[in-house]
Amino acid sequence: MMVEKKKTTTKKTETKKQEAKKVAPVKQEVKKQAAAPAPAAQNAVAAPGATTQKDARIGVFICHCGTNIAGSMDIQAVQDYAKTIPHVAYVDNYKYMCSMPGQTLIQKAVKENNLTGVVVAACTPRLHEPTFRTATKDAGLNPFRFEMANIRDQNSWVHMHDREGSTEKAKDAVRIAVAKAALLQDLFPKSVPVEPAAMVVGAGVAGMQASLDLAAAGIKTYLIESDMSIGGRMSQLDKTFPTLDCSQCILTPKMVDVGRSEKIELMTWSEVENVEGYIGNFEVTIKKKARGVMTPKEAAAKGIVGGGCNGCGDCDAVCPVIKPNVFEVGMKPRKAIYINHPQVVPLIYTIDFNACVKCGLCVTACGPEKRAIDLNMQDEFIKVKVGTVILATGYDIFPIENKQEWGYKRYENVITSLEFERLICASGPTGGHLVRPSDGQTPMRVAFVLCAGSRDNTGIGKPYCSRFCCMYSLKHAHQIVEKIPGCVPYIFYMDIRSFGKMYEEFYYRIQNEGAKFIRGRVANILEDPKTKNLHVYADDTLLDRPVDMEVDLVVLAAAIEPKADTNRTRKLFGVSCSQDGWLLEAHPKLNPCGTTTAGVFLAGVCQGPKDIPDTVAQAEGAASAASIPIHMGEVELEPYFAQCIEEKCAGCGMCVNLCPYSALSLVEKNGRTVMQVTEAKCKGCGTCGGFCPGGAIWMQHFATPQIVAQIDAFLLGGEE
Amino acid sequence: MSESKANHTFAFYLGCIAPNRYPGCESAAIKTCKKLGIDLVPLKGASCCPAPGAFGAIDLNVWYAMAARNLVLAEQMKMDIALLCNGCYKSIWEVNHKLKHNKDLRDGVNEVLKEIDMEYKGTCNVYHIAELLYNEKYVGVNKVRDSVVTPMTGARIAVHYGCHLTKPHKDREFEKSIMLNTEHPSWMEELVAAIGATPVEYRNKMQCCGAGGGVRGYDIVHSLDITNEKMINIMEAKADALTNICPFCQLQFDRGQIEIKEKFGISYDLPVLHFCELLGLAQGMSPQELGLDLHAISCEPFLQKVL
Repeated sequence: MMVEKKKTTTKKTETKKQEAKKVAPVKQEVKKQAAAPAPAAQNAVAAPGATTQKDARIGVFICHCGTNIAGSMDIQAVQDYAKTIPHVAYVDNYKYMCSMPGQTLIQKAVKENNLTGVVVAACTPRLHEPTFRTATKDAGLNPFRFEMANIRDQNSWVHMHDREGSTEKAKDAVRIAVAKAALLQDLFPKSVPVEPAAMVVGAGVAGMQASLDLAAAGIKTYLIESDMSIGGRMSQLDKTFPTLDCSQCILTPKMVDVGRSEKIELMTWSEVENVEGYIGNFEVTIKKKARGVMTPKEAAAKGIVGGGCNGCGDCDAVCPVIKPNVFEVGMKPRKAIYINHPQVVPLIYTIDFNACVKCGLCVTACGPEKRAIDLNMQDEFIKVKVGTVILATGYDIFPIENKQEWGYKRYENVITSLEFERLICASGPTGGHLVRPSDGQTPMRVAFVLCAGSRDNTGIGKPYCSRFCCMYSLKHAHQIVEKIPGCVPYIFYMDIRSFGKMYEEFYYRIQNEGAKFIRGRVANILEDPKTKNLHVYADDTLLDRPVDMEVDLVVLAAAIEPKADTNRTRKLFGVSCSQDGWLLEAHPKLNPCGTTTAGVFLAGVCQGPKDIPDTVAQAEGAASAASIPIHMGEVELEPYFAQCIEEKCAGCGMCVNLCPYSALSLVEKNGRTVMQVTEAKCKGCGTCGGFCPGGAIWMQHFATPQIVAQIDAFLLGGEE
Repeated sequence: MSESKANHTFAFYLGCIAPNRYPGCESAAIKTCKKLGIDLVPLKGASCCPAPGAFGAIDLNVWYAMAARNLVLAEQMKMDIALLCNGCYKSIWEVNHKLKHNKDLRDGVNEVLKEIDMEYKGTCNVYHIAELLYNEKYVGVNKVRDSVVTPMTGARIAVHYGCHLTKPHKDREFEKSIMLNTEHPSWMEELVAAIGATPVEYRNKMQCCGAGGGVRGYDIVHSLDITNEKMINIMEAKADALTNICPFCQLQFDRGQIEIKEKFGISYDLPVLHFCELLGLAQGMSPQELGLDLHAISCEPFLQKVL
């Protein structure tokens, strides 16, 4: 299909061809049905009277949902009432309409009673609209001739103790649904071809795993990373819980695989600048930030044979500018030309142009053969086309200095867990020796403050649980006991949440290793100005007494929060966020990788706090979900598009500016300016339809006459 | 209420300790505010706030009704209330806040007030003077700095915030929008710096003075123990004086030092000044004008240093 499409000359003929293909078989299906409008009328939607209300014969099916519905209302009364509603030709009820016998009931009734539309009064469209659409289709009707009345979630469940009231409300709901069903039209989903490539934003462990899976499935994948290397947060960690394997050791093989994969086009030091299009056809503009250093490939493209950065580090040695190393949480210096750590992928140096003084020493050091450094390099913009996108943008650390009672940034010996990770890591700034920042001494008493900014309802911290702090703090406790003989970890906790596989066992192990657990939130930390020791004040809620504990070092298990540029990401990809600011999945339980924007998927912590195993699992899920449309080759879109009634359209263009999905444009047609809808982009939100001053926009499946009929049915109580 | 005018007028609620024990606080508040464009008009007929520890802890309904009566007096004057004590702030601001947001409570209080032909309507707001001084909408740090004629150069001043102005911070609207932090605030230090003095940080600065919550009345030794701990920390920071924004805290630190001397045999002799008194000195007023001679601990060494 795709190849065929590329050959077609103009877009217009292309669409027509495709429509003809899609519509043809359906046409035969609905042929028998007298009331159905000709498929041609569906395109010329300017004819809202295609189905006249007089012809409509509606079947109403009331579901008991076991006792969910039947327990709170009089089903028989609703059924008796439904029979009196205009256009209703058939009424029935069943214990579970969604069951096979329930669906068969619909099919049988449609055929025997020559129905033109189906109303099921049951749960929510979210849950069973697809089920009943299929049943309607199997009965020989167009699937969009189905309407659902929600008499469970918004009725029987909330009015559990008002049988009479809920029965009356159900009658209203059925009457309203019938009013719409009588005016429903045949609609035909559109198919669009899918670009056989994917993009993954963020190359932490989630993005890397998703890319590797997509590549393994044979899909060309663009992996975009804003930092100079891939690896993300996981590469900053020393060891992982509960297995205690070295984080870098298990991560670097994956990093190398990503770097090597022929299917993955890795773009580090790059950001997504703009996104246009829709599922199957995203056109993404990527900003390749000026790195100042050329890869061998880029050098070759410039005709420098055998040139480009080979990671030798000669430039680093001569650079005179010293800056704090962000990768080491500022605890180690780096130069203006730098790599984050020795295992970076790709092993290409990067110039921090905010710090660089352009002295040119590095250019000389790099030499005339490699000629890798270009101090005048400019940002580049690259456009790529992809079918699906996975967002794996990760998280930030909550600025724990906002919880001033703990004195982070005021007291030298109060550090965060990420700083602890770097200090205990053999490749970190102290070579793996945990020291007090104030005097470089080895601490012998270390307090760990859990839920630092998490589970905090004061309005300063975050109300949610950050989900991995308990476990890594247990791991930290183990590490200091192991590395520093005689050192005692004191863990101040609210609850220890060790819920994963082998996690609880790990908790017991740490208890046995001598860590002290104090159940109580830390109220205050004070520094002894002379010794720089810290007094940790808390309430021991198990012994019911206040604690004043003097320690050498305090480690705050700081909460995590959504990335600072989450809003930008949201706008770029049209993704929502939940109340807590994390990117919103399509369904918290049944669609945790999808989003409300078709073709955009989520992986890792950007969707909500999770540890490495959960992150990798979600990444694999997202990769699988993102590969489906690509392997299918085309995707079907729900036909809830806006349509322009060209005779009425004045071409004012107000709708064009209002459309949040950039789906509308103005075009010249027969000498007039009219609006045109790019159907694949339209989400059917109705913003344009509601606004159009001339009433020239027809919202398929939510057309004005249909909605007015519903309102009338409600207000007039069914009277004509 | 009077926000649109260049000059602000408030009904001045005095409280008990300021007029009775530290009349200097009262006169300092009126005089310094006048210089900063704020008129403080006496809230005539006002009663005790009533003290949150003494009344609120024993019978909330009495606390609500008495505070509401004071609020109604201001409502009748069609003015917002300004006050200079954290305890008063707790009672009057918080009762106002509660009555505005809880109809049942309001109805109950109005039933009581009916007996004296009064009705609480919820039309006035309550502000602490320190809040007015810091908030640019009324005065602001810059305007405070501009009003200084005798800068307190070289004076090392420790700040005591007191509890009720900033806590519980969930309710305190101004604290959220302007002061930002209750755990380690620094806005009073900004005010101290504005009058030319050097604010000094000291250990556990947000600790209670020891007086509040009825502790002073109930268990004076325990109360002084807390004060003593604060004094040790302040003295370690080599402060020349302590400033506060609450006459009750002032009483605890000022008279408390005499009591500490009697009971524990330790003397600190650290002058304790309400911020309005300090501001008055910086604005060129005489110590007598500000009633500093009525303090239990002599302010003389401090005055010699700064004047």
